[in-house]
Amino acid sequence: MKQSPIDKDLAKNLGPSKFSAEGFLGNDQRPLDEIIADDMRTLDKMGLSLEQIGRALRAVYEAARNSLGAEEEIRPGVIAVFYEARGRIPSPFRDGTSFEKGEVVVRDLASGQELVLTSLGIALIEKYGFFQGKGSRYRIDPAVAAQVLGLGEGRRRDL
Amino acid sequence: MLASVLLSVAFLTGSGLVLAFLVVFAERRILDYGQCTIDINQGEKRLVVQGGDSLLSSLAQQQIFIPSACGGRGSCAYCKVRVLEGAGAIGPVEAPHLKPAEREAGVRLSCQVKVRGDLRIEVPRHLFSVKRYTGRLVRKRPLTYDILELTIELIEPETIDFVAGQYVQLESEEYKGREPVMRAYSMASPPSDKRRIQLMIRLVPNGICTTWVFEHLKEGQSVHLSGPYGEFRLTDTEAPILFIAGGSGMAPIWSMLRDMEERGIRRQATYFFGALTQRDLFLVEELSEMARRNDWFTFVPALSKEPEESDWKGERGLITDVLRRHMPDTSAHEGYLCGSPGMINACIAVLKEGGMPEEKIYYDKFT
Repeated sequence: MKQSPIDKDLAKNLGPSKFSAEGFLGNDQRPLDEIIADDMRTLDKMGLSLEQIGRALRAVYEAARNSLGAEEEIRPGVIAVFYEARGRIPSPFRDGTSFEKGEVVVRDLASGQELVLTSLGIALIEKYGFFQGKGSRYRIDPAVAAQVLGLGEGRRRDL
Repeated sequence: MLASVLLSVAFLTGSGLVLAFLVVFAERRILDYGQCTIDINQGEKRLVVQGGDSLLSSLAQQQIFIPSACGGRGSCAYCKVRVLEGAGAIGPVEAPHLKPAEREAGVRLSCQVKVRGDLRIEVPRHLFSVKRYTGRLVRKRPLTYDILELTIELIEPETIDFVAGQYVQLESEEYKGREPVMRAYSMASPPSDKRRIQLMIRLVPNGICTTWVFEHLKEGQSVHLSGPYGEFRLTDTEAPILFIAGGSGMAPIWSMLRDMEERGIRRQATYFFGALTQRDLFLVEELSEMARRNDWFTFVPALSKEPEESDWKGERGLITDVLRRHMPDTSAHEGYLCGSPGMINACIAVLKEGGMPEEKIYYDKFT
């Protein structure tokens, strides 16, 4: 099917740009709507909503951000550290929003799993259900996020 | 077979070139907007430009550089100016970046406003002194494992006038297929050194510009930058000063301190430098020496994650705790902070606890 001008623009914005060295799709060859649909199915299976996972991620991000660079223990065995960076980054969806740069690295010390959270990345999940493509440094895999943060059906918790 | 392929390619290329020429010709002849006047700040400056380009480009051609990080694509929204007359309708690229109050005030993205006729605009006066510079990197010095100091000698123009606390926009070059970008860095050098500027740059994981600086930029290489920008600067009062910054946030503070020493400004000043461990500290000897030379200056480095058994004799704890301990009463002071929003917000809370009015707190938030 022919790409509309809007699709072409969005595809360009999601690739590497002046604002994001790697872009938002990683090495994922799936179209955007498939990436979103697959991740939404994963969330459904875990009994989680976008709102719940967004809230949990945002709580971790804020807790680490306010720790002034020190490690923040999110829950036993899981730590988060904020790395600051100057400037702002606009949303690739060109919705007029822009977000502070900086990232929070969340590590599960037992399993070695890691998530890299950004303010933009969390907003893309909350607003568009877009967790980013596989291979992107900033992809927040919903299953990994649920495991690291201790979320999921029957184990939902507000951080 | 090969000949016919080559012929087809040549034909297609030629057709494309002819079409492109026709489009440019048509644009120049049919869409010729002629000469247009841009009135800036109610007659303070009047520019005559050839219509057809964006306001951002037209101003840049006249050596008025509005900040921009996205190359005029309407993504960064840094290039806002107030257009009083002649802008035309707000387009779909611009619309999401303008708040209702801004629209009311005539604020526009200058990269999205096309110069089709005379315009009346307002531009902050400090932008008149912004220039685009070509320089040469004369020194690239590691300050820590993830912070570099760059010393850039200016070539054209040869000198820069700025106020301690201001920043420049450094332009990276293309590498590994990554487009050039512009990023803001505060000047760490004192304003008295008009021929050279120093920047402190911290490596950002996957950062486009910082990766270029750390991995590709070499001493002796040309660099391009524009500036000076920014409103962060010391006030003209006698109030005692609290400086708070860590990491590369030290840059504007170091510029201010050196400027104060050179100009004989003897306002009481204390610099709280927060870091995690000793490996994150830098310029400790220089700042300690400055404190020894000047009775008006106190330097307080503080570590929050230093192992207890280490030989560190200085302050320990989060910078907010150290600040609270040292300065329970901040009511007479002015605060100058530089760093991430999280750090700044936390320190502002402590300063206000100590009685500092919010209007006496000045900051350069990294966003």
